[in-house]
Amino acid sequence: MAKRPVLIAVCALALTAGCQVRRAANDHARQQILYTAISSDPQTFNPILVTDAYSGEILGDVFESLIRINPVTTLPEPGLAEKWEIAPDQKSIIFHLRRGLRWFDGQPLTARDVLFTLDVIYDPKVPNSIRPGLLIDGKPLKAEAPDDYTVVMRLPKPFAPLLYAIGIPVIPAHILEPVWKAGQFNHSWGINTPPSRIIGDGPFRLTRYVQNQFVRMERNPDYWMSDEHGVRLPRLHGKVVQIIPDANATYLRYQYGQIDIYSPRAEEVLDIRQKIKTGRLRAKLQEIGIDTGERFFCFNRNPRHYVKNGVTDPKLTWFTDLNFLRAIAHSIDKKGIINLVYHGLAVPAVSDVSPANKLFYNPNLKDYDYDPRLAAEILEGAGYHMADGRRVDPSGHPIEFNLTTATGSPEADQICAIFKQDLGNLGIKVNYQPLEFTTLVEKVESTFDWDCVMMGLTGTIEPNDGSNFYRSSGNLHLWNPNQKTPATPWEAEIDRLMDQGAFEMDPSKRAPYYWKIQQILHDQLAIIQTVRRKDYVSWTDSLENYRPKVWGVYKPEWMQFKVD
Amino acid sequence: MTRFLVRRLLNMIPLIIGITLISFLAMSLVPGDYLSNLKMNPKISPEVIHQLQAQFGLDQPLLVRYVKWLWGVLHLDFGYSLQYRVSVTSLIAARALNTVILAAASMAFAWMLAIPIGIIVAVRQNSIWDRVLSFLAFFGMSIPNFFLAFLMVYFAMWMGKDWLPPGGTFSVDYNSLDFANRVADRINHLILPVFVLGVAGMAGLMRLMRSQILEIKNSDFVRTARAKGLSERVVIYKHVLRNALNPFVTMAGYSLGDLLGGAALVEAVMNLQGLGLLLLNAVRALDIYLVMGSVLIGTVLLLVGNLLADMALVAVDPRVDFSSMASQ
Repeated sequence: MAKRPVLIAVCALALTAGCQVRRAANDHARQQILYTAISSDPQTFNPILVTDAYSGEILGDVFESLIRINPVTTLPEPGLAEKWEIAPDQKSIIFHLRRGLRWFDGQPLTARDVLFTLDVIYDPKVPNSIRPGLLIDGKPLKAEAPDDYTVVMRLPKPFAPLLYAIGIPVIPAHILEPVWKAGQFNHSWGINTPPSRIIGDGPFRLTRYVQNQFVRMERNPDYWMSDEHGVRLPRLHGKVVQIIPDANATYLRYQYGQIDIYSPRAEEVLDIRQKIKTGRLRAKLQEIGIDTGERFFCFNRNPRHYVKNGVTDPKLTWFTDLNFLRAIAHSIDKKGIINLVYHGLAVPAVSDVSPANKLFYNPNLKDYDYDPRLAAEILEGAGYHMADGRRVDPSGHPIEFNLTTATGSPEADQICAIFKQDLGNLGIKVNYQPLEFTTLVEKVESTFDWDCVMMGLTGTIEPNDGSNFYRSSGNLHLWNPNQKTPATPWEAEIDRLMDQGAFEMDPSKRAPYYWKIQQILHDQLAIIQTVRRKDYVSWTDSLENYRPKVWGVYKPEWMQFKVD
Repeated sequence: MTRFLVRRLLNMIPLIIGITLISFLAMSLVPGDYLSNLKMNPKISPEVIHQLQAQFGLDQPLLVRYVKWLWGVLHLDFGYSLQYRVSVTSLIAARALNTVILAAASMAFAWMLAIPIGIIVAVRQNSIWDRVLSFLAFFGMSIPNFFLAFLMVYFAMWMGKDWLPPGGTFSVDYNSLDFANRVADRINHLILPVFVLGVAGMAGLMRLMRSQILEIKNSDFVRTARAKGLSERVVIYKHVLRNALNPFVTMAGYSLGDLLGGAALVEAVMNLQGLGLLLLNAVRALDIYLVMGSVLIGTVLLLVGNLLADMALVAVDPRVDFSSMASQ
């Protein structure tokens, strides 16, 4: 009697379970289609308007730039421009474009497209993140095209970072110029533009995008690059980028063979290694180098926050006292963090530049060793004594401050907990409260209402890209942003070194300037380093010629699947 | 009935304005705005931030922005998403169909199983069936959705490649399939998420059904029915069940509002195309117009759902009529 509906439901379930799609197996290798995953939807298909990492990752395959950066040597190498010459006065650069370059729609790509791209980037009505890198002392460079295959760029003065900044995606003038002239550029090529209308020049073109699901790309048969046998590249026939928001789900999919490449987190590295060893996963696992970003602690040294009505908060005195900062630096247990938080897959961070940046990393800095006794001695020597189990400053104020970081990262949370405990042993009270990212940014950037923050910034090869961070006038000069004139002699010196480094065209002569900056930041402890992750990548066994590096993939056009 | 309808529809206007205004204010009280997400990017200069602020209208006073938004809504313009720079309508439209399919399927699954099981366990109260099924119901109620989703993804992997897809709304090669295979592909992708979302809903429904029937089974009119010599079957189906259904009609109306944001975490784990995650991310990124669009649609669905439920109640329960409802 009452069992009948149950029976019906069970039958319905059995029926749906038997509902199988009839088609050839989805074989990535046979089809030569690479499956990867990103965690969020792209926000735009317009390469000039990109402000997020996901759009950048997808459009990197669709749009080519004049020159690109070799991820092994970290030096510029030819892209759309087959060669370039720097004039003896170092104030102009001549780029020679390749012949026969074509857009996806068959139209020729010429110097006119490059000039148009620069016009758009310099248009004040087009907000983009490329422009700041192409302003030299606040002035744009002047570009002209003597013929279809030559672009001459004239600089107001020598500017070495240009070769790194000029790797801009070139956009087609014949499509976008009318749009730009009509004032519609900021709304062009959004994510609901049909993918076939995104006209690029890169190795792959977009064929389909389903929000929340995947982006499909197919090989561009007209791509300019060919291999040593004269066969056109890329070798892969297509790519599918799946959008999977949850990291754990992504990892499961990788093990399931639905994704071919995966960048594992520390605990997953051990898991993958084990599974490869026992034969449960047919994949490769490789350490690709030390991460370009690091996590650091920074104390607020902004008088705008601490000096009110002529009264200075004692915190400002502590946070600018080198003895205090040195004691803190000596009480960060980097080994403990590496073992507890990163399962041993990290190294102590010493400089603000990653060792992966071979051109500019300063290897001569001496790390502040973990030494709680030395830390206590330094504090005692500087007049910070213990009273009733708490550390007090020379004028008797108990030392206590707030620590914050962005929510959502278990690693950040653990590092802060370790920090709080280590300082607790010194008698310093740390009130730890993580904040939602947007709230944290407002405090750090606008209201300056914070004491100590732990955060990370990702690194770039060209140190000048970090201008906003290094220069005292920068908005990311975290400890005291947007200064009119440098507050301290060492900040003034960093400003000067940044200028000198940017105007020195000889790469080998540039490094010493940036070494000096790293030394100053290390000595003055404007930021107190913790650790840097070692980056790993794992990929399916049948994928060949895949050479990932921390700065990107080396010769990605050569990638292919082995077919047996 | 007309009077009732007009009255209820008119009541909705101040409610919608009130709810959207409060949401708008709440979103604006949070420190920072969408552009805070960009400020920590070393490549984005403060000057670009200012330009974007002006472009998005974020530099205008709060009330001006709210009134402008409301004015747009009256012209069916829900504004632009700050994250994606396309209209809010297009973002929601791209996900609406799949959200509705998923929600409807999991609701059907939950109700189809919960009601008969609820009846069985109530009729055989304290039997072994009651014990076992009640235990499973509590288990289903207490296991978090996203965790069950993980278990199912794992299960799909364990079953092997050609059985059940561990996620996604449809296959990557969906477009190249013929119609029959497209339907099969869709259903194939629905099985696990429907199970995950259905189990949670089912458990609660089953417990409710059980307690409703138990309560009514012991009332006077049931005793009278039995005394008349009616068969147990007629007593249960004609007398008890009919009376037990009222709260379910109301619940069905409410669940229309749940369509929107109910499954965010499951969507994340199984990468389903849905509105829940879109809304959750919009709130976190302070993408105010996207949030407002979702809030508006959610509010309207909830209000309409309630209205429909009340009208259905009049249809199934002779004790309720429009005049008594309108006077409430």
